[in-house]
Amino acid sequence: MKRIGVFVCHCGINIAATVDVEKVVEEVRRYPGVAHAEHYQYMCSDPGQKLVQEAIDKHKLDGVIVAACSPTLHEVTFRRASENAGLNPYQCEIANIREQCSWVHADRGAATRKAIRIIESLVEKVKYDESLTPLSVPLTKRAMVVGGGVAGIQAALDVANSGYEVLLVEKQPSIGGHMAQLSETFPTLDCSQCILTPKMVEAGQHKNIRLLTYSEVEEISGYVGNFTVKIRKKAAYVNWDACTGCGVCTEKCPKKVDSEFNCNMGSRGAIYTMFPQAVPNYPVIDRDNCLYFTKGRCRICEKVCDLKAIDYEQKDEVVEEQVGAIVVATGYDTLPLDQLGEYGYGKLPDVIDGMAFERLLSASGPTGGEIRRPSDGKVPKEIVFVQCAGSRDPEKHLPYCSKICCMYTAKHALLYKHRVHDGQPYVFYIDVRTGGKSYEEFYHRVSEEEGVVYIRGKVSRVFQDGDQLIVWGVDTLTGKKVEIAADLVVLATGMIPSAGSQALFSTLKLASDENGFLSEAHPKLRPVESIQAGFYLAGAAQGPRDIPETVAQASGAASKVIALFSQEKLFHEPIVACVDEDLCSGCKVCISACPYDAREFDEKEGIVRVNELLCEGCGACVVSCPSGATQQKNLTDEQIREMVKASLGE
Amino acid sequence: MKLPYYPGCTLKDRTSQLENTALAAAAKLGVELQEIPNWTCCGAVYPVSETRIMNLVAPIRILKEIGESGADRVVTICDFCYNVLKRANRAILDDDVKRTRVNLFLSDDDRRWAASGRKVGEGEAYDGGVKVLHYLEMLRDQVGFEKMAAAVERPLENLRLAPYYGCNLLRPAQEMNFDDPEDPSIMEDFIGHLGGRVAAFPYRTECCGSFLGISSPAAARRLSHTILASAQKNGADAVVLSCPMCFYNLETKQKELIREFPGFQPIPVFFFTQLLAFALGRDAETLGFEEHYVDPLPLLQERVSA
Amino acid sequence: MRTELSANKVKGDFLAKVVELSGESILACYQCGCCSAGCPVAEEMDLLPNQVIRYVQLGFEDELMKSKTIWLCASCFQCHARCPRGIDISKIMDALRQMALGSGPDRCGPDEISAAELAGAPQQALVTVVRKLGN
Repeated sequence: MKRIGVFVCHCGINIAATVDVEKVVEEVRRYPGVAHAEHYQYMCSDPGQKLVQEAIDKHKLDGVIVAACSPTLHEVTFRRASENAGLNPYQCEIANIREQCSWVHADRGAATRKAIRIIESLVEKVKYDESLTPLSVPLTKRAMVVGGGVAGIQAALDVANSGYEVLLVEKQPSIGGHMAQLSETFPTLDCSQCILTPKMVEAGQHKNIRLLTYSEVEEISGYVGNFTVKIRKKAAYVNWDACTGCGVCTEKCPKKVDSEFNCNMGSRGAIYTMFPQAVPNYPVIDRDNCLYFTKGRCRICEKVCDLKAIDYEQKDEVVEEQVGAIVVATGYDTLPLDQLGEYGYGKLPDVIDGMAFERLLSASGPTGGEIRRPSDGKVPKEIVFVQCAGSRDPEKHLPYCSKICCMYTAKHALLYKHRVHDGQPYVFYIDVRTGGKSYEEFYHRVSEEEGVVYIRGKVSRVFQDGDQLIVWGVDTLTGKKVEIAADLVVLATGMIPSAGSQALFSTLKLASDENGFLSEAHPKLRPVESIQAGFYLAGAAQGPRDIPETVAQASGAASKVIALFSQEKLFHEPIVACVDEDLCSGCKVCISACPYDAREFDEKEGIVRVNELLCEGCGACVVSCPSGATQQKNLTDEQIREMVKASLGE
Repeated sequence: MKLPYYPGCTLKDRTSQLENTALAAAAKLGVELQEIPNWTCCGAVYPVSETRIMNLVAPIRILKEIGESGADRVVTICDFCYNVLKRANRAILDDDVKRTRVNLFLSDDDRRWAASGRKVGEGEAYDGGVKVLHYLEMLRDQVGFEKMAAAVERPLENLRLAPYYGCNLLRPAQEMNFDDPEDPSIMEDFIGHLGGRVAAFPYRTECCGSFLGISSPAAARRLSHTILASAQKNGADAVVLSCPMCFYNLETKQKELIREFPGFQPIPVFFFTQLLAFALGRDAETLGFEEHYVDPLPLLQERVSA
Repeated sequence: MRTELSANKVKGDFLAKVVELSGESILACYQCGCCSAGCPVAEEMDLLPNQVIRYVQLGFEDELMKSKTIWLCASCFQCHARCPRGIDISKIMDALRQMALGSGPDRCGPDEISAAELAGAPQQALVTVVRKLGN
């Protein structure tokens, strides 16, 4: 007969106010199999854990039940304590008498009786628990970072600098992301590309980083420490091994296509590099717009390339790689203007978004850094900035606050004032949110020193009147409707997860929230990991944030990867499925029931085998097995039956 | 094609030209609009009070009778009636309490019982099964703008028309579901298919003042003047609309606008059905222009070939 | 003189009554002002539409009953169309009118309409005015 110790926690008043813990101990003490029972204020504390360890020793316990809060909180704590006292940790179970009892009932008598039953059912389980050993698994100490913006670059550099190899996969031809499109960054007004490009170059040249740009992750299989990924390297139609990035082909290309990098305000060729500091600095051919691919003509790029690097026959290449950890840093896009009917659906040429304004500000942008409006190139003298364009709008657009817009709008207004000395900027806001370091001071500088007029009220409508834009807003603080005839309107549109990220998250089987942003394992305490083991999150893919937070988070994700790789082996929970070979008839129903592809049919023996490393202990196979041949370790059908009987008081 | 038609009070009297031209044009396009018998006022405004649910009886009674006659849709021309009937129908579909209470009352409705020969308490509860259509929707979906265009005898080629939507057709958009409230296009399509040119102007979805024309006339005059001035600034020869209330503020009240806003030039205002009937061949003299303050006849005679 | 706020005032019957009559989530309004920015009649109003909601939120019943604003709302629904919280401000105006009219005199009933208007205005205008601004 097993000798089980039961430890009932008060959890302060959380349990003890509703459950009569003394009565519980008194009753449970008498239950067959229970050799020792006691109660204590806070079992999870050091003294609490010591009680368990001392009792194991003194009463020669070979099973322990801690009746307390949910096992998700302290199962690990008590198993570790038991193990340190010489007891196999899988002989220690948690009876949840808080979330499933004291926190959901008010009747003390009924709650106490229920707590006793819960504990007694766990006694039945522990009676049949086996001592188990965690499985150990080798791991591939190589990381993949998906997304080459500043988050991905930072994470890749940190992991690479720790000595591990990193694959940096980016769907655009160059790394850099949106930060490469920015002109200056708040609050320091550093030139964005000047601070980013050193990191880009470092990543491009790092001996431990392999850049796979113009590439996308297509398929993934495996588990933490042992992922197999298939990556599609899209055909650039340029042989990057031969190319030196001289740029002659991009100069000579006769086709003009709207430049996405310049927010459709400038043009690029059909063969192009995204921007002068691109890493890698090799061009790609956009075959949907290339005259050769669409009409069979031209081929000028081929003619002017001395190195014969143009290869129209190039094909996509799918490579397979083994990695142990994946950092997802796919970033953001901004809400498209065609969603905002009240501001013109994106059809008014002089109503642009914040990113487009960045390109106007940028010295390498379509206007060479002069602020000229798209329709006629006129320098705008009356310029209106509209904050919350689509954000904080649960009714029609994005329910959340996009966090960066108040700051970048203040920055835009300030930079505009520096370039157009006689211009008048207005900012319509609902609130001004400046939570970061030096942000509030920056906002004060803008509103007080630079003559930017801040008007509190959300803009209701923007429409074209002749060659001006009429902005209908309100100043709620004076209680007056206002109308401004503007030359240019800049909408601070909200941040959304980047295009294509939903499909990628599906492929990687990563959880995302109702807004499409990646879900973290715990919103407070585990912000850089996914609940799926082996996946780490960095940057705006997880939610709106600014550059300092992104960089910090990227380093955080990298540190998790490095911690993972610092182990020689990974341990896998042993509460897995097993097959009684005598009972298995080889019907294979369990194989289709398994969501983790953890079961295989052994043709020779005619039975099914479990791949314990892939098994996550979900129990679906047990349910599906018609003969009961497959069971889950430490949660067998027999155990469950006895637990049910005990919980019914039989 | 025969469709049940609900006229509403205003069309029978103060804006009879809207009804006459609408029915005539429909007939020309093969649609017989059959006025439903025993109809009553819809209530003019959709009753929004959550506690005065009985105010829904007026519009629902109308819809219930149409349903009981075997029809599954009704056409209306007056924007106010359209707004009331459609939203009342929506309330019946979405709100259990309103549906139950209104049906309970109607099952006991003496007037209907007497008129229809039914016994009190007989008949099915109304479940929102009658679809409410505006005449413009009927033209677009049941007849088809292409078919309408093919029947045009007098294309309105040289007329630049400013389509004015007003409020009741478009809003609240979740309930009206008529067209994009920020960028509607059904009237522009309609004008285009009649051969006319559209004078786009930014005030086409801004309120004319509605009933403020009676209770706060100065405010309504300011709104109406702004709308008309914007249409004129954007090159409109005339304004086209569908709502009798808007017509009152934007057309009839122009006689007051010329006093209040020096420099204001009167501009003709058409009901869309008048232009439709005219384009389909009806003589300009029969379109009811005698009800207008600004006579649109000279404009038509000058611009449109006979 | 400071306006006193207390649990009685802000949690009082007034807010509850307006919520009941209008069916709208008054407390959802975060005072962005978009309703006022798009309201066609705001220039004639004494309190802006967003201020009306603020007064309801804080329980300032007297000022609201005396305001010009609630009689000027034309029910054009532009506020509702643009509100990021989906509040129908025109419904709140209707509720306030209902409360102000109570059992008192009509604001604009049949007696207040001129003979000329009665003779010339479209029926829908007359019915609407009497329903919105009268008992």
